[in-house]
Amino acid sequence: MTSKLERLMNLTAALLATERPLSADELRGRVDGYPDADASFRRAFERDKDDLRRMGIPITIREVPHSDPPTQGYAVDRAEYGGNDPHLAPDELAALHVAANLVHIGDRPEGALWKIGGVVDTAAGAPDTANAEPLVALPTDPNLAPLFHAATELRVARFRYRDLDREVEPLRLSFNRGHWYLAAFDRTRAEERLYRVDRIEGSVQLGSARAFARRPASDATPQLPSWELGDSTAIRTLLLVDADQAAFAAHQLGPETMVERRDDGGMVFALSVRNVAALRSFVLTFLDHAEVLEPPTMRAAMTEWLSAIVKGCV
Amino acid sequence: MTARLTAPDRLARLLAVVPYVAGRGAVPIDEIAARFSYPRADLVADLTDVVQYVGVAPFTPDSMIEVTVDDEHVWIVYAKWFERPMRLDPNEALTLLAAGRTLLMSTGDEDDSPLFRGLAKLAAALGAGNGAPVDIVLGAAEERSRAVLRAAVVEHRCVLLDYYSYGRDQRSERVIEPHRCFSDDGQWYVGGWCRLAQADRVFRVDRIHTVNLLDEHFDAPAIRVTAIVDPSAAEARVTLDLAPEAQWVVAQYPHETVQPQADGWTRVTLAVTARAWLERLLVRLGPHVRVIELSPELGDTSSEDTARRILARYQASRPRELAGPEPHKGPTA
Repeated sequence: MTSKLERLMNLTAALLATERPLSADELRGRVDGYPDADASFRRAFERDKDDLRRMGIPITIREVPHSDPPTQGYAVDRAEYGGNDPHLAPDELAALHVAANLVHIGDRPEGALWKIGGVVDTAAGAPDTANAEPLVALPTDPNLAPLFHAATELRVARFRYRDLDREVEPLRLSFNRGHWYLAAFDRTRAEERLYRVDRIEGSVQLGSARAFARRPASDATPQLPSWELGDSTAIRTLLLVDADQAAFAAHQLGPETMVERRDDGGMVFALSVRNVAALRSFVLTFLDHAEVLEPPTMRAAMTEWLSAIVKGCV
Repeated sequence: MTARLTAPDRLARLLAVVPYVAGRGAVPIDEIAARFSYPRADLVADLTDVVQYVGVAPFTPDSMIEVTVDDEHVWIVYAKWFERPMRLDPNEALTLLAAGRTLLMSTGDEDDSPLFRGLAKLAAALGAGNGAPVDIVLGAAEERSRAVLRAAVVEHRCVLLDYYSYGRDQRSERVIEPHRCFSDDGQWYVGGWCRLAQADRVFRVDRIHTVNLLDEHFDAPAIRVTAIVDPSAAEARVTLDLAPEAQWVVAQYPHETVQPQADGWTRVTLAVTARAWLERLLVRLGPHVRVIELSPELGDTSSEDTARRILARYQASRPRELAGPEPHKGPTA
């Protein structure tokens, strides 16, 4: 009696070894352990195929050449099956293992570690991190892996974003302040754009590999603040934040936007504003610990909003 | 490992074990068992009873995998179809690269560290050219604060925090016993026992004004504080009607109920952890929100008082005076 494991492994070997697609009946003749009855064979074969696919074995389906009537055949493309083993030195593998233990992004990638040489113990003096709580937890998104695949293999990606269909050349994924972003060249608009991955509507469709030339993504900060996103002319705006919250504001705005540090510890930031409502909303999070200094139109936008609230409630 | 491995579980391991062992000479069985989370007995049984018999029809000797097993070691000299491990799929590759890049960013390892080298090899193997197409920027918390906190966690030393509480809109000094420093969703946090509050607390590192390491040690905690505030534990509730312009509130904050209204507005109920949080939300939303119901402990929180307070600041400062010293220091609520 052949075990299921032996049957699965022989099926994998047969699919890897063949130079042409093999029909189900041919595979039945080459792989031991299938039931004799046709219907049971079919069921077992379908289950095996699903098991192999779930493990990521790339089974292709093509017509068996010269078959009459045309019959479906199965094979595994050897180049697709293997080929990206990074050949890591033991210390490099151990370092990646520690990273995978300390940084959680979705499921723990144990299967990935097996493929690059297995899970190594940390006898070499590294801390034992197998049961450590994560140092860093990053959110994941169903579209992340396809977009990463597209960026590494230069595949065009199509998706819907802000009610428009996009066709883009993915360049880089970045995680910044709680969100994943995709930097990509938008083919329709002929320029590089940044997309928030969690705002992509539905799933991403990928084209074929090597569809565009590799180039670096521009180094523009991945996340433009919301008040810089807009179609109107940019207005240079000065914002004063009191000492108590100045350090926090500098983190949020980037230290390069700070143009003045006052004796009392307050800081003045110069911002480029295209979306007044977005800036107003941000400035109000500081309550009365911040103030728009210039220009007068922007001050007026703040005071008019606040006056309307006061009047509206009276 | 207690759960019995299924046939696909074992195949996934074998497809990695066979290429690993092939060409390496004698490999200790214990090492393989540990590397691939393969219970020793299952591993030995599968190598002797299964792998030996794997081949391609018509199963001539040259198509079979050659396996030798003794008490301690395994040799595989001819793996034929299984000489190479399976390709990393995009999800696995992304997870490994992102985890590695993240750790590199947060530890500041040198360019010649094993992690750096491993990541470069991984990126190259994936065909990503120079540099992986993944970038990770964690919360921009000050390096110094994190370094001090990390040292304090390791050495079990108390720290003095000068901390701005966003929820209460107040700055205060407090001594904490830091248990863990971690990042979640792009922000750094430190969790520990707060002596001021006499309770476990989690603090956002980017709201720490200064942190000082104290000489005082504390006993290692039995349970380390890591939970980020769970808003649903708050008792206070507010029910709001949101205009279409204010829909982002639904996406951004945990809410208990959402009911679309006939006029296109949306009614939501939110848990309120602190009053200043609600004031801030209401003044940002202005005419795009109507307060429907407030639980009693929130008193008569309204955007009006908040707006008046902020407006007073604008009225007190005239644009032409602004170059001078700030006449108005924001009072804390």
